[in-house]
Amino acid sequence: MLRNFGRSTVRVLIASNHALFRHGLMSLFKKKLGVKVEIVGEVTNFESASEVLETQEVDLVIVDYDDNQLNREDFLTRFVGGGGQKRIILVSLSNPESAMLYDRRELPLAQFEAWFEGWQEAEERTSPPSGGAARRKNQTRSNHMKHFVVAGFLVIVLTVLLILGAGQVRLLPVAASAQAQPIDQLFQLMFIAIAFLFSLIVVFMLYSIVVFRRRKGDESDARHIEGNTKLEVTWTTIPLIIVLGLSFLGASSLAEVERPDPKALEVDVIGMQWTWRFEYPRYGIVSNELVLPVNKQAILYLSSQDVIHSFWVPEFRVKQDLLPGGEEFVRTLRVTPTEIGSYKVRCAELCGIRHAYMESPVIVVSQADFDVWVAQQTGEPTDPVERGRKWSNQYGCLSCHSLDGSKLVGPTWLGLFGSQVKLADGSTVIADEAYIIESIRNPGAKIVEGYPNIMPANVGQDLSDERIQDIIAFIKTLR
Amino acid sequence: MKDRVSVLQIGLVRGLFGMVLGVLIGLGLVSGIRALLGLPIWNPEAAWVVAGVFGTIGFMLMVGVLRDWIKWALGEETPDFPESDARLKGWAKYLSVSYDHKIIGIQYGVTALIVISLAGLFAIIFRTELIAPGIQFLQPQDYNTIMTLHGIVMIGGMLLGVGAMSNYLVPLLIGANDMAFPRLNAFAYWINVPAVILLVGTLFMGGLETGWTGYPPLSSRAPLGTQWFLLGVYFIGFSSIFGALNIIATVMKLRAKGMTYFRMPVFVWTAAATALIALTATQLIGLSFQLVMFERLFGMAFFEPAKGGNPILFQHLFWFYSHPAVYVFVLTGLGVISELLPVFARKPLFGYRWVALSSFGIALVGFLVWAHHMYTSGMEPYLRVPFMYSTLLVAVPTGVKFFSWVATIWEGKLSFETPMLFVLGAISIFLLGGLSGPPNGVVATDLHLQDTYWIVGHFHATMFGGFLFPFLAAIYYWFPKITGRMYNETLGKIHFYLMLPAFYVQSLGQMQVGLLGMRRRIADYDPALQIEFSQLLITVAAYVIGISLIIAFINFAYSAAKGKVVTTNVWRSRSPEWTLLPSPIPAHNYAEPIEVVGEPYDYGLEGAVYVRPISVVPLRNVSEAGLPPDAAVASAD
Repeated sequence: MLRNFGRSTVRVLIASNHALFRHGLMSLFKKKLGVKVEIVGEVTNFESASEVLETQEVDLVIVDYDDNQLNREDFLTRFVGGGGQKRIILVSLSNPESAMLYDRRELPLAQFEAWFEGWQEAEERTSPPSGGAARRKNQTRSNHMKHFVVAGFLVIVLTVLLILGAGQVRLLPVAASAQAQPIDQLFQLMFIAIAFLFSLIVVFMLYSIVVFRRRKGDESDARHIEGNTKLEVTWTTIPLIIVLGLSFLGASSLAEVERPDPKALEVDVIGMQWTWRFEYPRYGIVSNELVLPVNKQAILYLSSQDVIHSFWVPEFRVKQDLLPGGEEFVRTLRVTPTEIGSYKVRCAELCGIRHAYMESPVIVVSQADFDVWVAQQTGEPTDPVERGRKWSNQYGCLSCHSLDGSKLVGPTWLGLFGSQVKLADGSTVIADEAYIIESIRNPGAKIVEGYPNIMPANVGQDLSDERIQDIIAFIKTLR
Repeated sequence: MKDRVSVLQIGLVRGLFGMVLGVLIGLGLVSGIRALLGLPIWNPEAAWVVAGVFGTIGFMLMVGVLRDWIKWALGEETPDFPESDARLKGWAKYLSVSYDHKIIGIQYGVTALIVISLAGLFAIIFRTELIAPGIQFLQPQDYNTIMTLHGIVMIGGMLLGVGAMSNYLVPLLIGANDMAFPRLNAFAYWINVPAVILLVGTLFMGGLETGWTGYPPLSSRAPLGTQWFLLGVYFIGFSSIFGALNIIATVMKLRAKGMTYFRMPVFVWTAAATALIALTATQLIGLSFQLVMFERLFGMAFFEPAKGGNPILFQHLFWFYSHPAVYVFVLTGLGVISELLPVFARKPLFGYRWVALSSFGIALVGFLVWAHHMYTSGMEPYLRVPFMYSTLLVAVPTGVKFFSWVATIWEGKLSFETPMLFVLGAISIFLLGGLSGPPNGVVATDLHLQDTYWIVGHFHATMFGGFLFPFLAAIYYWFPKITGRMYNETLGKIHFYLMLPAFYVQSLGQMQVGLLGMRRRIADYDPALQIEFSQLLITVAAYVIGISLIIAFINFAYSAAKGKVVTTNVWRSRSPEWTLLPSPIPAHNYAEPIEVVGEPYDYGLEGAVYVRPISVVPLRNVSEAGLPPDAAVASAD
């Protein structure tokens, strides 16, 4: 006990009426106790003891508490009241196995709570209901740390297992855009955090389920632990810091994802129930496929013709809704493809019956191949049949003449060339080159039976003879 | 003379008759007025909307739930403590109007189970279609309708389940004899019946194709069934608002003597926080749906850009309710977890005050996050980062709950009866759901995840963990108190051990296919995604969950009729309904008023008493804590 003073010399005052007691203590203190004991005073009564305490610094006062000799009030005032820290231990010959303890301190309010909570535990430790239970409780106390350490270790193990396990499963599609980089990095970080936090809670739960089971026949309750404010503050503050940190990272990633390239390739993306159209204003191209050069940022101007749609290529990661309403509602999405290949854009906002099927090809090619594609789309195709198809589209032929045999406003082109055509006046002609040229230049000359005479006379005005030849070549292929 | 109940004495039967009558009157009224005005007589939109409204009014009038209010309007008196109609015995009692919160709670609960099963059936139907790519049997139009109904009917079922727990338990837990407004309680229950009928009725009106979120412009152009969907949700909203009002008034005014707010069982805290959200936010979904109805009926253009409207406005209005709504779905379930853990761990709820206040923390922060559903919507880009911060903040009070639960069972003495199994399962599933939240909350990653099956996995995990598992735990736990009989423990365990692993398979499968590129709300998916096997697993899991629920229903039904009779405090709970009331509970709960003399969760504290009847006279010179714990139980006999 003397060592607990934390000093090399302990200053002791002995106050007792009984000489034998005083001498006995003195000789005891002279022995080798590991700590130097300085007897500051040896007094016979309480008043002298008080005087000594007034003038000297004393670490330990041994008082012979004799009701007949002592003034209780004085004793209480001196030793129980007043200021300063005091510990008073009462020992008695009639009860040599235990001592009564008064531990008087003044604590700042912040420390008071912790002391108060520790108090309950101390109480249970010092007053065990029975010998066996005391032993068990003491064992449990030393097991607290053990439980935490084991459970903590298992948390690490499960976290590692989960991370390794997740690596074995396909989780994300191939990353094919520059924007995917910061996003995938965030995903990796989040998966690790999720693995850890899941393990943290689940391991502690499973550990409790295995280790803290109720023993058969045990009807007693567990320890009465109401809470721990320090712990509450900790597990409120740390998550708060983590979520603020994650938000910050999220904002930086978003900035990275949205980084603009002033020389981005502009593409208008128009969505409608249930198809996509891509227009390249710089080249005047209209396409039903999104063709993009690799490693060059494309800025997509998204708009819808009817309901809300959403543009998403999983390999590119980024997504943006298409809104109806014209200029005011056009939204942009920047994508920088980084891998040559074929992908699909699929509508990602429920838009009606064929929402599941609203998809178009997205083809990422080298810059050289992209230039070839542009030339093909804008320039004249080299194949007359392809040219013919293009003129048929551009000059509006196909709005009245089908290619698949269905009856529209005008006769279908399927199987037309070389066939026998019945005219409204009853005669029959063969649909040869001359027939087709006449039908374009002078539509009213021959009307096919069953069809109205409404083909515009000026439709062939801008069509050169060469272009009509291309159209004929195209029609010839429609068998 | 035999005292037989005629079928017309059963409220539900009368109500259905009233609904049919109302629908016909509505149709006739609209057509008649149009004829008088010289308009073409048949306008299906207007006719069916008015029919739906009149049908609901007809139901409520004929079921009898408005009777006392009509009497007051006519200056007649009604009894202060109305008794149930004595002629109605057995199940007929539950099919008619009662003002007893326990009967209403059971009505809510059984209706909830039926509605949840119906929604689950819709899910099983379209999940079967999704086993393989291509269309097997469910055409896209029908798929969209069934998928939409799965969503909204399940939401209705969850609100009914929350209503069941709150209305049954709150008065019992605070020592009250009923809710503050018993007639309003009955009204708030009964309006759900015509509302759900309207929702299911959409099947016969051309369906709808919008998903439960009903975004315009699609919803302003979708088939006719959309109108009854919008109207049905509107009426369910009434139930939420009135029920919430009732809970708040009850909690504020009817607590027993000595029950300060921090001495209430923690479930009451979650019920109150839930009620606060439901009372104040529900109006927004009503408003947003009403505006779409006006677009369809009157050609108004709130969300139609061509006519000067803005489609994003709908999303703000809608999600301002629908995000807080998810906390309405889960907070009471989380309260059940907090309530049951101490009983089965024999240890106090760790940090009770922090857990209690965290419910209000979640409720408050929950109002500040709605636009995280709209990161890709095309709203102003600068809104996204602030909403990301607020969204991630919700993790803090939620984390407090998780850590407190673990701290409660740590070093406890755990036993594993069925209610505890469901509570422990709930914690792990809600954890999975909660942890899959931050990737959605962070804008950059949400750009990939929005509108995919990851989102579907996230909300199914949070809903199963925060609502369904705790709801089942609550049913098993309070079953003996409600029925006076014990459920079958073996069947309960079979239910759990089928449902938990199946749900993990479903959840993880959904999250995986979402990450890989599967979008939401699609009848068919591209084989190029190579997710067929996962889809099969998810469907099989759904079937297993369904089978486990059938086992549970058989257990409930059989045990309620023929289970072993139990009248004691089988869980050795300290809560007043267990320590001071018999099983089943008599009509007006506590025969004598009770008072609170200690803390609710003082397990392990020798001699600690929580509640006792006020008629117990304390002995002189003995402190309250010194009263032997048997005293309260003895005087309750």
